[in-house]
Amino acid sequence: MELLTRFTFVSACLFAEWAVTFIAVANCSISPSEMNGDSALKLPSAVIPVSQKSTLGSFYSLSLSSKFPEDLEVNEYCTELLRIYGQRYVTFANCLVTYARPVRVCQNCYTGFNSLEDIYKNISFDKSAPGNVGCHDSLMRSDRLMLLYTLFIKLDEIWTSAECKQCLNEDQDALSNDTLYFMATLNQSLSCFEQYQRNHTELCKDCKTSYKRLNEVYGRMEKNLMLCIDLEDAMNMTQHLWSKNFRCLLPREETVPVIAVSSFMLFLPIIFYLSSFLHSEQKKRKLIHPKRVKSSSSLMNIQDKFS
Amino acid sequence: MANIAKKVSWSGRGDDRGERTPLLNGDEEVKYNRQDIVRSRPKEIPHNEKLLSLKFESLDYDNSENQLFLEEERRMSHMGFRCLEIRRWVICGLIGFLTGLIACMIDIAVEKLAGYKYFAVKLNIEKYTELGGLSISLILWAVLNSAFVMFGAIAVAFVEPIAAGSGIPQIKCFLNGVKIPRVVRLKTLVIKVFGVICSVAGGLAVGKEGPMIHSGAVVAAGVSQGRSTSLKKDFKIFEYFRRDTEKRDFVSAGAAAGVSAAFGAPVGGVLFSLEEGASFWNQMLTWRIFFASMVSTFTLNFFLSIYHGKPGELSSPGLINFGRFDSDIVQYNLYEIPLFIIMGALGGVLGALFNIINYWLTIFRIRYIHRPCLQVMEAMLVAAVTATVSFAMIYFSNDCQPLGQDNTEEYPLQLFCADGEYNSMATAFFNTPERSVRSLFHNPPGTYNPVTLGVFTLAYFFLAVWTYGLTVSAGVFIPSLLIGAAWGRLFGILLSFIASSQSIWADPGKYALIGAAAQLGGIVRMTLSLTVILVEATGNVTYGFPIMLVLMTAKIVGDYFIEGLYDIHIKLQSVPFLHWDAPPTSHWLTAREVMSSPVTCLNRVEKVGRIVDVLSNTSTIHNGFPVVAHTSENDEPGIICGLILRSQLIVLLKHKVFVERASSRLSQRKLQLKDFRDAYPRFPPIQSIHVSQDERECMMDLTEFMNPTPYTVPQETSLPRVFKLFRALGLRHLVVVDNENRVVGLVTRKDLARYHVGKDGLEELHLAQT
Repeated sequence: MELLTRFTFVSACLFAEWAVTFIAVANCSISPSEMNGDSALKLPSAVIPVSQKSTLGSFYSLSLSSKFPEDLEVNEYCTELLRIYGQRYVTFANCLVTYARPVRVCQNCYTGFNSLEDIYKNISFDKSAPGNVGCHDSLMRSDRLMLLYTLFIKLDEIWTSAECKQCLNEDQDALSNDTLYFMATLNQSLSCFEQYQRNHTELCKDCKTSYKRLNEVYGRMEKNLMLCIDLEDAMNMTQHLWSKNFRCLLPREETVPVIAVSSFMLFLPIIFYLSSFLHSEQKKRKLIHPKRVKSSSSLMNIQDKFS
Repeated sequence: MANIAKKVSWSGRGDDRGERTPLLNGDEEVKYNRQDIVRSRPKEIPHNEKLLSLKFESLDYDNSENQLFLEEERRMSHMGFRCLEIRRWVICGLIGFLTGLIACMIDIAVEKLAGYKYFAVKLNIEKYTELGGLSISLILWAVLNSAFVMFGAIAVAFVEPIAAGSGIPQIKCFLNGVKIPRVVRLKTLVIKVFGVICSVAGGLAVGKEGPMIHSGAVVAAGVSQGRSTSLKKDFKIFEYFRRDTEKRDFVSAGAAAGVSAAFGAPVGGVLFSLEEGASFWNQMLTWRIFFASMVSTFTLNFFLSIYHGKPGELSSPGLINFGRFDSDIVQYNLYEIPLFIIMGALGGVLGALFNIINYWLTIFRIRYIHRPCLQVMEAMLVAAVTATVSFAMIYFSNDCQPLGQDNTEEYPLQLFCADGEYNSMATAFFNTPERSVRSLFHNPPGTYNPVTLGVFTLAYFFLAVWTYGLTVSAGVFIPSLLIGAAWGRLFGILLSFIASSQSIWADPGKYALIGAAAQLGGIVRMTLSLTVILVEATGNVTYGFPIMLVLMTAKIVGDYFIEGLYDIHIKLQSVPFLHWDAPPTSHWLTAREVMSSPVTCLNRVEKVGRIVDVLSNTSTIHNGFPVVAHTSENDEPGIICGLILRSQLIVLLKHKVFVERASSRLSQRKLQLKDFRDAYPRFPPIQSIHVSQDERECMMDLTEFMNPTPYTVPQETSLPRVFKLFRALGLRHLVVVDNENRVVGLVTRKDLARYHVGKDGLEELHLAQT
């Protein structure tokens, strides 16, 4: 709460000349790491009505196309950062779309993501010399839309839900060994599939070993949380090929024994109930006659009442 | 002109002509017939629902204000009463805590055991799907199930038969004021907990929620007494609470705590106690009971959060968790209300069908399967058949669904499905019932296909009917919910077919919930408390209105056919249960017809020999004796001056409080109320008290110990009036006097409970030895 009021106050003075020193204070006291998540989203919107009110007069003299005074402009360094951000963003988004189907984003776009993340971090941790507005504030938090932040967060969300990090090595700069191994196993299966393309019964028999190994590798990686969307999708496709296209399903050939055992089991209770009905002696209850008033008088009573 | 035809001869087995003999409207022949019966010796008849058992007694809810009591009250300071009140709160807290702990233990044990079982069976099935030989998996599953159930059934059948079933009927009776032997003992609790773990892990169509209520009640009875007679350990605390009045109050708190732990529904728990035990209720008690319920659900929550590795995250308030119903997706609309009412009616019909089948099955069981070894065998057979049916269903099901992303199925079975898919029937059968309910509520539309659901409903319905009433401890809540959820979901799916377009209002999860409520309401016929329990368990108050409507409809429709399941079982156990009201059209019956007469009275100063003889008479086991000024030698009844209980007499005999010994007793300590409490609740039988020949000639002065102001009514009081006194005051004995205050009869619970409305008007139940 205190933070909010202070920030509001500081921003209200943004347009006033004498506010420079306060801005330095604001820069120091609100580090970007404190401002993540929701609070960063809410704060600027709280700012707006105040600043509009206090600077109503100065707005009349300016049209939107004209320039702001120099110290309110985004400085060159920041513009440069903004340009790089844009480039990398486009590259990464392009990569995502290119490898969307079949999903290969983790394998192909991790460099793009890393560089985008770098520049985003650069912007958000930028602290220029005192007296200047930092790029973080001027680029990301000056308006209600907070475009750079929102854009990055969306892509970051996609990246997180794709769980790509689990397929990369610890430094996030290459695919992990397990991933490579899985892909090699997958390729073996696929090449086997290709080999027996025409004869499905042959395929089901001969490719079973490699397919089974693929399943094992996948199962192990699933247990160790080392799967990302690429591998899941590849596995899904392979399973679909295997079960639906090649119809390598397990046959349901034990119907007779199952029915036999089931009907035997179902037969047991019938025997049980019959035998207990026939052989068990029935439980009897002894009736007891309670002591009551001689009935004649009570009968009389009732007759009196009813007549 | 009306006659009373009380009895008709029983001509042996199978002749139930007499059962339906109307009390009113008899003819001359019947009248003469009755006279013969009275003279004839006791007859034996097969067990049926129209009996009252002699083994059940009333609780002594009414306080005996004798001189000892007044003395004690005088001695107690203001502070003393304060402390009592604080102690009551402490006890309620303890009850809640322990109940929550037990619930937590059951939950974890069931989860672990069932986890091992399903894991083993799953591995086995996977292995044999490929190699062939699935019938071996079937046998493995059946054997595992039977083994679990066998342990549970042996414990129940051989050690403590009262722990069988859900325990709700027994607790209902206890709260009604009937002392069910052994129902609130520690041994019962242990067997109950063990039994329920076994039967749920054994894959029977049962839940662990009903037994939780019983467990809570036992905990309450145990904690409030500060000792356990099963363990023969006395902690010397809470001695003041050692009487029926206090115990019953605490038991109602325990039952509430049990409900609260079972469903995460503290308010529902309080209302359950209110609904079932509402006859003697006090407002201060409500607040205490609510406290116990809250503590219980909090405790369960807290310990489960530790178990799940997220300490302090209090998100699993009950044993059954309906999951979160997102109010955006499953809102209901005005035009859906008629649909809900139709579902309620359907639930009522299905519930009645369930009860009717179970009723006949239970009668059969009581008559023929009464030996423990047979009972164990039956339970094992049911377990094996449950596994078989489940397996066959799964084996022949062609319903394959893709594995979800969030993987809600704990044990997905692939069987003959394509890789990456699982057998949809297996989610319903190859799972603990609670999980199945949750997946029926929450799985997205399209998870189940209609045929699967239909077949599942049918199979599970019969399994559940068959299972309830076995000699295992298990509840009926979850199977009912599961059946209801299955057909409710089916109903929802069919609706969306009819509506052709995939409209939002036919979300199947919502209809699963309504179906579950309808089915449960149709079976147990609880009203207010069930509504609140379900609303609390779903965590969505907006569903209050439709759930209430559904339960109401289900009850109305169901009551047209047959009573609720718990009432049926109470009746079949021949319990003298007093319902909320006296039977209608009974105003013409007066206390004179209702009462037992003549009464065994005692003199104010009575010979010890006579007291011993009266108490030892096995043919008439009386518990309360009116004390009269003095009985003349002829049969003229004496003027009433008090009432004394068997238990008090026994304590007096044990301490040899005889007039002749008064001088020597002066040196001894005077008998206090504490001595009576110490003997509670298991007063020694009269046979164990030795009275020498000399002592038989002594006299005993009962003035100090008897209740000097017992409730009395004149002979002309109508039955409903007497009934109201019994219900409202929790009476055990009501003395009937003539206009000169002379004792002419005694009304007890069994005298009242024997009247009930049958097919042809008022009927009378028979007393029997069971």
